[in-house]
Amino acid sequence: MRRLGWRFAIALVVGVALAPAAWAQGQPQVGGTLVYAAGVDPDSLDPANTDSNPGEAIGRMMNNFLVRFDAKLRIHPDLATRWTQSKDGLTWTFTLRKGVKFHDGTPFNAEAVRYNFERFLGAEKPLKAGLHSPIIRSVDVVDEHTVRFNLKVPFAFFLNNLAHSASALVSPAAHQKWGKDLTLHPVGTGPFKFVEWVRGDHITLVRNDDYFDGKPRLETVIVKTVREDSARVLGLEAGDYDLIVRIPPEEVGRLTRGGKVRIEADQSNRALRIGINASKKPFDDVRVRQALNYAVDKDSIVKNIYQGFAAVIPTMVGPLNTGYAPVKGYPYDPVKAKKLLAEAGYPSGLKVLLWTPKGRFLKDFELVQAVQQQLQAVGVEASLQSFEWAAYLSLLKKPKDEAKHELYLIGWSPSTGEARWGIFPITACSQWRPIGSNDSFYCNKDVDGLLEKAVAATSLKERDESLRKAQELLVQDPSSIYLLATKETVGMSPKLHGIINSPLELVYVDKDTWKEK
Amino acid sequence: MLRYILRRIFMLVPVLFGVTLVSFSLLHLVPGDPAEVLGGQEATKEDVERIRREYGLDRPLAVQYLRFAANAVRGDFGVSIQSRHPVRDLLLQRLAFTLQLSLASILVASAVGLLAGVVSSTRPYSLFDATSMLGALFGISMPIFWLGLLLILVFAVRLHWLPSGGTGTLLHLILPAIALGGASAAVIARMTRASMLEVVQQDYIRTARAKGHREGVVILRHALKNAMIPILTVFGLEFGSMLGGAVLTETVFSLPGIGRLLVEGIFARDYPVVQGAMILVGTTFVLVNLLTDVAYAFFDPRIRYE
Repeated sequence: MRRLGWRFAIALVVGVALAPAAWAQGQPQVGGTLVYAAGVDPDSLDPANTDSNPGEAIGRMMNNFLVRFDAKLRIHPDLATRWTQSKDGLTWTFTLRKGVKFHDGTPFNAEAVRYNFERFLGAEKPLKAGLHSPIIRSVDVVDEHTVRFNLKVPFAFFLNNLAHSASALVSPAAHQKWGKDLTLHPVGTGPFKFVEWVRGDHITLVRNDDYFDGKPRLETVIVKTVREDSARVLGLEAGDYDLIVRIPPEEVGRLTRGGKVRIEADQSNRALRIGINASKKPFDDVRVRQALNYAVDKDSIVKNIYQGFAAVIPTMVGPLNTGYAPVKGYPYDPVKAKKLLAEAGYPSGLKVLLWTPKGRFLKDFELVQAVQQQLQAVGVEASLQSFEWAAYLSLLKKPKDEAKHELYLIGWSPSTGEARWGIFPITACSQWRPIGSNDSFYCNKDVDGLLEKAVAATSLKERDESLRKAQELLVQDPSSIYLLATKETVGMSPKLHGIINSPLELVYVDKDTWKEK
Repeated sequence: MLRYILRRIFMLVPVLFGVTLVSFSLLHLVPGDPAEVLGGQEATKEDVERIRREYGLDRPLAVQYLRFAANAVRGDFGVSIQSRHPVRDLLLQRLAFTLQLSLASILVASAVGLLAGVVSSTRPYSLFDATSMLGALFGISMPIFWLGLLLILVFAVRLHWLPSGGTGTLLHLILPAIALGGASAAVIARMTRASMLEVVQQDYIRTARAKGHREGVVILRHALKNAMIPILTVFGLEFGSMLGGAVLTETVFSLPGIGRLLVEGIFARDYPVVQGAMILVGTTFVLVNLLTDVAYAFFDPRIRYE
C-alpha cells in the first residue's frame, strides 16, 4: 500500500511538471502512419535469432519482456509485475501480469514463459542460446501467473539478461507452428502487430487494439530499408519519411538550421577501440600498450571527426551501462608515450599493422586515419589497411596461432546494457577466439576474478564496486587503445513525438508515440 | 528461324553451368563466411559451426555445388542464409521491380536517345547538334549516384513533385528512370548520330529524295531503318545491363531490385541468394542477346539464321 502511495505521488509530481510541455506541443493525437527509414534490412524477426539493430528494434515494437529497459537502460516491470530473488541468488520468482494475450490469441501465462526460455536451453539452440544456457538451469511453472527460474550460478545481471532483445516473449503456438520460420511470421504481445515483410523494401506493422497497456496512438508503422545515408536525409527533408536513423555528423548543422526537421543525438553504448593483439611481440609488453594509449588524442578526434557526436571513455565500457565507472583514463601525452616506448626497448619507434573495416562503424576509416597520424608523431609507423566487413570478421575470428592482426579498430555494444558484458567476452582469459570474442588474446587473471566477484554478488553495491575495480585495472593494464562511445543521431519530422532512441542503438516507437496531423 | 531460337535457348544450359560454377568458386575463394556474418561478433565457435551444419556449409565444396545444382534444376534455389526467405520468392519479387525500372529507363533512353541522335544527324554541326552531343557527353560522364541525388534534391526536396525513393506508384519510377536511362540515352544518341551520318551519305538516300519523298519519310523509313543495326546492338547491351541490376540507381532510390539483392548477398556471403541471382542475371543476358539478334533479322532482311 505504501509503495502504491509513493508511485501515485511521483506520478502526480511528474505529471504536473510535464503538463505545460504537453500543452505546448498540443494534445497527443490518435491515428496516422509513421514511415521510418532504417539503414539495413533485419536479419530476423524472431527475437531469439536476431543479431541486427533493425531486427531488435522492430522486435521491441512487436514484443514484451518480463522486465524492460527504458531509454536510459533502467529496468522496469513489463510482463512481470513483481519479482523476488532467493538469498543464495539461485532462484528468481516472477509474478506475471494477468489477462495478456499474444497477437494470435494465445494466452500469456507461466507456461508461455517456460516455453520461451526452454527454447534457449533445449535442442533448438537459437542464435542467442548463449545468453541464457550457461545461466538458467530450469524454469518451473508455479501457478498460472507465477514462474520460477532456477539458475546454475548466482548471476547479478539476470534482470539485464531478461531485458535483452532476445528475451522477448513470443507466442508458443506460433513457434510450434512455424519453427525456424517464425522469423517470417512473428507473433508477440506488443503494441504493434506484424503485417508483412517485403525483403529489402519494407516491413509493415499495425496497431494492436488489444494491447494490455492501453491502445497505441499510431495506426501503422512502416519500416523502410534505405541504405544510403544521403538518401535517408533527402527523404526526410522531402517529407517522405517521418523518422530516420544515423545522420552523418557533418549533415547535422545544415539540417538543424533549416528548421524543417528535428535532430536528437543520444549517447549510445557502442564503444570503439583499437584492439591490440597482446599475443604478439611487442604488444605483450604492457608498456607498449600504455604508450599507444598515451599517443592518441581522443578529445581531438571527438571534436574534429565526430563533431561532438561521441564521448571519450576511459575503458571499453560505454557511459550508460549499469556498472560503468568514471575512472581516470589516459590523457594525451606523446612525451610519455615516447618515454614508455624507449623503456620497452623501442627508442627509435616501431612498425605496426593497423586494420579497420570501412563503413561498419560511424566514421571508422577517418578515425583510424587520425590514429595513424598521431601514432606517427611518437615514432610508431602504422601501415593502414581497410577491409570489407565479412572479410574483416573472418580475419579477427582466427585462433591465436593463425591470427595476423596487430592493431585493429573494433566496436562493441553490450546488448544487456551492463559493464560486465562490455568487458568479459572481449577480455577474459577463457574467451579467446575462436571460443569467445576476445580477439586481442588479452588475459589478466585479476580482471577475471573481479568480474566473477561481480557476477556472484548479491548486493548491487558489492557488484558495482567489483566492476569499478575491474575498470581501474583495465586502465593500468590496457587491452586496447580505448577511444570513445558514439552518439546515435536520429532525424524526425517536428510533428513526431515520443520516439525512443535507446543506447543499445535501437530506435523504435511505443504505444505513446504520436504524430500531429 | 525457330530452330535457331531453340538452339540459342538450349545454349542457356552450358552458359548457366559456367556462370554458377564461376560465381560459386569466386564466392568460396574470397575471405568471409556466411555463418560468421550471420552469427556476428558475439558468435562463439560453437554457434558458427551450428549454422554451418544447418545450411550444409560443412560439406565438401563439390557436394555443396552439386546439391545446389540438383535443386536448382528442380526450381528450388534454397532459402536465404541471412533471412530464411525462400530465394525463389526473393528473385521473383525483385525481378518485378527490376523489370519495371528497366522498361521505364529504356523507354526514356530510347525516346531521348533516338530523337536527339536523328535530329542531330539531319543537322550536323548545327547548334542543336552541338548542344545535344554536349548533353550526351555530359550524360555519359556524369556518375549515376550524383545525378540521382541531384534529381532527388530538385524534384523531391525542393519542388515536392515526386517521391524521393522507394516503391509503390508509377511516380516512384520517374526519377530513377531518368537517372538510369540518362546515361543510356547518351550512348544511344551518339550511336544513332554516327550510324545515321554514315547512312545518309548513301546513294539510295539520294535516290529516295530524287523520287520526291518527303524528308520525314526519307529519314525515318529509308535512313533510320538501315542505321538500326549498330543502334540495336547498343540498345541490347544497355537493356541487358539494366536488367542485370542497376545497383547504384537502386541504392540511391532505395529500390529493391536484383542488383542490390546480388550486392547485399555478396556482402553477407549469402551463397544461395548470390547463386540464384546469378542464374537470373545470366538468363536475362542470354535472352536479351537473343532478342537483339532476332531483331537484326527484322530490320535487315538479308540477315538469315539457319
